[in-house]
Amino acid sequence: MSTETNQNNNPDEDFLVVENLTTTFNTARGPLPAVGGVSFRLGHNETLGVVGESGSGKTVLSRTIMGLQPRTNVEVGGSVRFDGHEIVGATEAELREIWGTKVAMIFQDPMTSLNPVTKIGKQIGESLHVRLGMSKDEAKARAIELLTLVGIPSPEERYEAYPTQLSGGMRQRVMIAIALACNPSLLLADEPTTGLDVTIQAQILNLLDELQMKLQMSVILVTHDLGVVATRTDRIIVMYAGRVVEMGRTKDVFKDHRMPYTRALLESTPRVSNPSHTRLKTIPGRPPNLLKLAEGCAFAPRCSRATEKCSQERPNLEPTGTDGHYFACWNPLDNQSAPVSSSTGSTKEFGEDNVRS
Amino acid sequence: MSEASKNVVLSVKDLEVTFRKGRQRVSAVAGISFDLYEGETLGLVGESGCGKSTTGRALMQIVPSTGGEIYVDGAELTSLSKKEARSLRRKMQMIFQDPISSLNPRRRVKDIVAEPLDCWKTAKGEERDAIVYDLLNKVGIDPAVYGNRYARQFSGGQCQRISIARSLAMRPRLLICDEVVSALDVSIQAQILNLLEDLKKEYGLTMLFIAHDLAVVKNISDRVAVMYLGKLCEIGPSDTLYAKPAHPYTSFLLGAALEADPEIEQNRATLSGEPPSPLHPPSGCRFRTRCPFATEKCASEEPMLRDIGAGQQVACHYPLVGSHQ
Repeated sequence: MSTETNQNNNPDEDFLVVENLTTTFNTARGPLPAVGGVSFRLGHNETLGVVGESGSGKTVLSRTIMGLQPRTNVEVGGSVRFDGHEIVGATEAELREIWGTKVAMIFQDPMTSLNPVTKIGKQIGESLHVRLGMSKDEAKARAIELLTLVGIPSPEERYEAYPTQLSGGMRQRVMIAIALACNPSLLLADEPTTGLDVTIQAQILNLLDELQMKLQMSVILVTHDLGVVATRTDRIIVMYAGRVVEMGRTKDVFKDHRMPYTRALLESTPRVSNPSHTRLKTIPGRPPNLLKLAEGCAFAPRCSRATEKCSQERPNLEPTGTDGHYFACWNPLDNQSAPVSSSTGSTKEFGEDNVRS
Repeated sequence: MSEASKNVVLSVKDLEVTFRKGRQRVSAVAGISFDLYEGETLGLVGESGCGKSTTGRALMQIVPSTGGEIYVDGAELTSLSKKEARSLRRKMQMIFQDPISSLNPRRRVKDIVAEPLDCWKTAKGEERDAIVYDLLNKVGIDPAVYGNRYARQFSGGQCQRISIARSLAMRPRLLICDEVVSALDVSIQAQILNLLEDLKKEYGLTMLFIAHDLAVVKNISDRVAVMYLGKLCEIGPSDTLYAKPAHPYTSFLLGAALEADPEIEQNRATLSGEPPSPLHPPSGCRFRTRCPFATEKCASEEPMLRDIGAGQQVACHYPLVGSHQ
């Protein structure tokens, strides 16, 4: 994976450098490589989208970047350098120094992330008190300020509310307020709008956009929703079976994708702009079992372009020539043949429904 | 084909479902009416809490309806005795959101699919096995390889295929799908949507497809109905409704749906606030508290669903599109 380490020499890009990051869980049935060697860089104020299906390793990747892994039965390799800090191998005391103040995270499920028996104001003020050493009154004033910032109506009253008294969208706003309490420069958002209704999702995404501008943050947005990444990110990483299969500027990945998996993912997504009863293209089979990963490209068994080489040798990320656009495939799609909107009628490029494999 | 010449499979008139919460009453479904024609797929969309799932469950009488009538092929379901209703319900089947918890993990796949046949004693012995074999083949599960496996050994997508096979065992007229693809990854979701389209043609099914995902609903439906806080806002042919939404709520809902294409100009005009509590629904039009076009009339007078042509009906005093004529 040496190709990616010197992909861009712009010093501005060196804000977050992830190099050959691996996370392997030791399970009873053998080692499970949830993240199998991921490298990328993130610049200041940039938004990076991480997309993939369930089990592709996107959540484990974001947690590893944050330094959040279980203490036992996990091996982390490679390096995550963030603003002069090395996260891989850091002690908990070192991590505590940067959690909240430098890097913060919002999770998918705001209900289980909040303490149900503590008032939300206190939960927001906690990090202000512990990390920034604010007094109780200062922390309260700042917490109310934060509640206003994330658009919660009547913040003084809501300061006293318990999480169960708030709706899902409001709870996610509280989570964002907690994450932003100590002005982090990197925000990891793991499926922040999954489980929210579309109108609430739009509110939360607009809020994140607005706050990113206002507070000058870099954001890593982890999601399975291609609609969310299409509109809210500068660059995208597409993950499959724990590895990056394609990355580049959002526009390039959507329009000029080279990896067949990226196209298959785009073409199997139903679109509001297509007429009803548009036949969806499907990807045959299922994502691989990470415990039994074969030698070659992990997508090869489901790929219509796969050749013998694909099942024997794993492709590395290769540059396309467009700035920062990389793909891992032996038989890439060519530039011109990348129609994003799927055509009508039955097309069998990616095979018909079949789970009999 | 004019609507009058089509066979109505399901007709819902003023359906109401009220739950009690202590001394309070929540009207989850507050009087909705629609018809479902033979061979048609009607999509039912709305945000969480709008009553779309409750509607589906009330049609199956899983939750008792507290008002209104449900006609299935002309027979009124709610006035029938338990035994008669049970018999009529053979014609209607439902598939649920969570495929894994819909199946008994300790039973073998072929027995799960055969259960309706065993219940109704419609087929036994070799005939029963042949039907099960055929159904599993139809949904893309090889019965020779997987028939004897337990439900717990399957992934979500495969479990949903097994649920579909089971629902088809009684050769239903009407299939109610409640968020059947929302727990699945996009590649698996596409497989299931295509499968449903194929089976609908093959079995001549009429479907009510309940989901929150607007793109999914448009893809599979001939007509779409939009619900808000227990009421129908709008109903119409999918392509017309998505192109020219008449109800302001439909328009905002469509505007909030994100298209997987960075070059499409996204509508950033978002709906402010959240739906009011169904415990205390607003007077008049239920959407008026969030509607930018609301006037006094909206608060005092409830808009009724009315025809605006081209098969589209809207419940709004000030629809965004006028009559189609």
